[in-house]
Amino acid sequence: MAPSSPTAPATAAQLQEILVSLVRRGWPDAEVLMKRGRSRRVELTTFTETSAFTQEQAWAVRAGHHRGSFFAGGTGEPHPDGPWPEPSGRAVRIPEPAPVPVWNEPSDFDAPLIGEREGLKLLESLGKELAAELPKARLLHAALEDGSSESDLANSRGLRTRSRSRIATLYLEAAGPGRPEITASLYLAAREARKFHPPALARRLADRLAVLAQGGPPEHDTGEMLLAPPVATHLLCALLPLLVGAKAATAMSGLRDHRGRIGSPHLTLIDNGRLAGGAFEAAVDGEGMPTREVLLIDQGFFRQPLLTWWQSQTTSGSPSGCTRRAGWRDLPAPGPTHLYLKPDPKIPVASLLGAVAQGYYLIDVTGSPRLDLTENRFALPVCGFAVQSGRATAPVAGAWLCGKISQLLQNIVGIGRDLAFHPLNGMIGSPTLLVSGLELRKG
Amino acid sequence: MPFSELDTAAVARTLSQIAEKPEDVVDAYFERREEIELPPDDEGPGLRAWREEGFAIRLVRDGKTWLATRDVVDGRPFAEAVRQVARALPSATYPEPALRPGPPLALAAPELLDFPAAVTRAVRNHHVGFPVRITVRRHRRWVQVVGPRLVPGAESETFYSVTAEMAWGRHGGLFARLDAAAAESVAAATVSLFRARQSSPPERFEGAAVLAPGAVAVLLHEAVAHALEADVLARGGNPELAVGVSMAAPTVDVLDDPSAAPEGVRRATDDEGAPVLRRWLLRGGVVEQPLADALWARTSPVLVPGAGRRGSRHLPPGPRSSHLELLAGDTDDADLMAGEDRSAPALFLPEASRGTLDPLSGAFALHLPFARRLRGGILAETVGPCVLRGRVADLLTRVAAIGRTSVAAGAGWCAKGGQKMPVWATAPMLRLEGVTVTPDGTPD
Repeated sequence: MAPSSPTAPATAAQLQEILVSLVRRGWPDAEVLMKRGRSRRVELTTFTETSAFTQEQAWAVRAGHHRGSFFAGGTGEPHPDGPWPEPSGRAVRIPEPAPVPVWNEPSDFDAPLIGEREGLKLLESLGKELAAELPKARLLHAALEDGSSESDLANSRGLRTRSRSRIATLYLEAAGPGRPEITASLYLAAREARKFHPPALARRLADRLAVLAQGGPPEHDTGEMLLAPPVATHLLCALLPLLVGAKAATAMSGLRDHRGRIGSPHLTLIDNGRLAGGAFEAAVDGEGMPTREVLLIDQGFFRQPLLTWWQSQTTSGSPSGCTRRAGWRDLPAPGPTHLYLKPDPKIPVASLLGAVAQGYYLIDVTGSPRLDLTENRFALPVCGFAVQSGRATAPVAGAWLCGKISQLLQNIVGIGRDLAFHPLNGMIGSPTLLVSGLELRKG
Repeated sequence: MPFSELDTAAVARTLSQIAEKPEDVVDAYFERREEIELPPDDEGPGLRAWREEGFAIRLVRDGKTWLATRDVVDGRPFAEAVRQVARALPSATYPEPALRPGPPLALAAPELLDFPAAVTRAVRNHHVGFPVRITVRRHRRWVQVVGPRLVPGAESETFYSVTAEMAWGRHGGLFARLDAAAAESVAAATVSLFRARQSSPPERFEGAAVLAPGAVAVLLHEAVAHALEADVLARGGNPELAVGVSMAAPTVDVLDDPSAAPEGVRRATDDEGAPVLRRWLLRGGVVEQPLADALWARTSPVLVPGAGRRGSRHLPPGPRSSHLELLAGDTDDADLMAGEDRSAPALFLPEASRGTLDPLSGAFALHLPFARRLRGGILAETVGPCVLRGRVADLLTRVAAIGRTSVAAGAGWCAKGGQKMPVWATAPMLRLEGVTVTPDGTPD
């Protein structure tokens, strides 16, 4: 591991020149981002094969005064004289520099991007593994993208940061055997393309295709629900309004029980921008503020929402670097980086499954969740298996997992060790959860 | 035009060096985009502007595509990108043509500034008042495609997108001009959402549905255009086998004609430089000409290029529609609303928020933020969010009547394959018989 490299002198001078020019124009609050990136994309469809190599170079500026501000972004290199839009609307918030705790850049940031042949081979092997898992199943579309970038950020308050990132994404869509063909898709992210494991992914797709093809919905049933990580992470993502921002604490207060708990003692929720090995692991966020681990829920007790530096000025709780900036086109916005439920390292999924006397093992989602915070209700389309005495008895599809949000949080009776992250709104992670008191309904 | 000073002849000569086989498709795609957005009053920063330019070099050979893209328009990166896609001599050095794009334009869009107030005034003209958060954005795009042998003319597009957010819903629309009609269109949609805010979704309904032009546009986009894109057809088999298949009632004629799109987004060539055509997707309900780009046109003489579109230089083009037209029928709007059996239950579907199509099963869903019941051909009470469901092949055969007045039927974004593109439509009203509408919401 090596500490992050400093901004190159030429880039530092360029950033300074632009900041000086903006301030001289009467815009004392100014911030300049310069970003360079490159990526390799390989894609297979039923009939086509594509290999693309992209080099991107872009910038973004936020500037203004107390009466108004603007955002401008573009490709190439910014010119100190713009042209810039006229400031209007609200003022822009620019942070003061904050000390960044020591952080060593992961060594895989320097790993080369996946090559064209290597990438295509990975996708082809996925197709073969899928056919081996589920005869006559086929990949309809597979797209692998592996990229890296460097960002330099400076603002008129004296903040100067440099950060690098490395991320790979994989999209898979497959069709199962039979007519009409059932389809299923996966979207994943990891730090490097080489970390995708074709046999495991093929198995996951095959399981889902088989369940969707053979499964039917129950009319209306209750029981213990074993929620695999894809299901638990989608639910967690839907709950973000309760966890992020200044209004989160108020929204969460309605879910407290008479002891002040909002969740079961198994529920510990963390956001950590520095999570080792995480897809978004970085020392600073999109505004150059230091990232850190924040405990949001501790054994069922709500500690604080996820807050940016400016939200923490009006809300109780300590800030963390949680301003995301997905690309130069995006305005900085608060959001989780690696938000996850703390796993129990002693509990294998098999023991949670064995504990289900009558219920369901829900392995994946089949659509978007619906959440009504005012009514304290949620619903999520799911598929999986009916379970009796710890054994899967029948596939289930076309079903909705429904219940009260408070029940979902309070009734977690077991938590596994198989923490897995999914690229949803940030990287959202969860192990398998065993929850009681929820319902499964026909969709 | 930002690309008027590109040395297109030198670009073409360089490209010809990597087109080794007669059937190779090689092109350079130069693009400049500019977007200026006025966010709602309560959001900072104020005016937002994005300006980008760059190019993509593409080689297609034997169904394989190699693409290299850059975020700058200059000779050296151009030569580098050519080297990256070249197959025979990957280490060769290629000439660096003179590529000087025009200077950037001032980042100003004064026409945006008055639009939110114009919408507020238009809402008040409906004798209601409620807070609406308006985001309005101007989109401009200039494209120059260069091939090894042909250099088509440069193309440009300008249009506006508007989003209106309220406590009870959201409405989005695209407009070729930001005029009083656009303000009234947004206002009318938001007022309808306001008036429908407490309406309950209908019980499962089976009967007739009358679709207003805005809803027809979404139906055509999902059920006809997407279903007849060569790459979508290929997921189920050979795309050319779709030609000649009866897919809709004999009264249904649907075309894609980018050259007849509203002024400002009208095109003479597609994003591959091929001339666009007035493409009969359905003639008399029968599939005549699926949507194809250069890549798919290589696979069959039945498929004709001219519908290649790309959302960004960083992604390869694909077959997509631009401007759909449903040809007018011969039924008065009043007769369309009444139907032959005036006592039969019917729903009026003024607008659709989105549509989805499963290309393999043909399952189709049109999501409606609200609808109105029709009693004896007269508009009655409003019902809440619902979904028109069916299978494409079945649904389109249920077209019972088509209105005689075609209008610009609004437009929207299509995000197939992660490539976000504007799509436009011209359509009359449409009556479907024997369709199913279900409540849009959580399960039973």
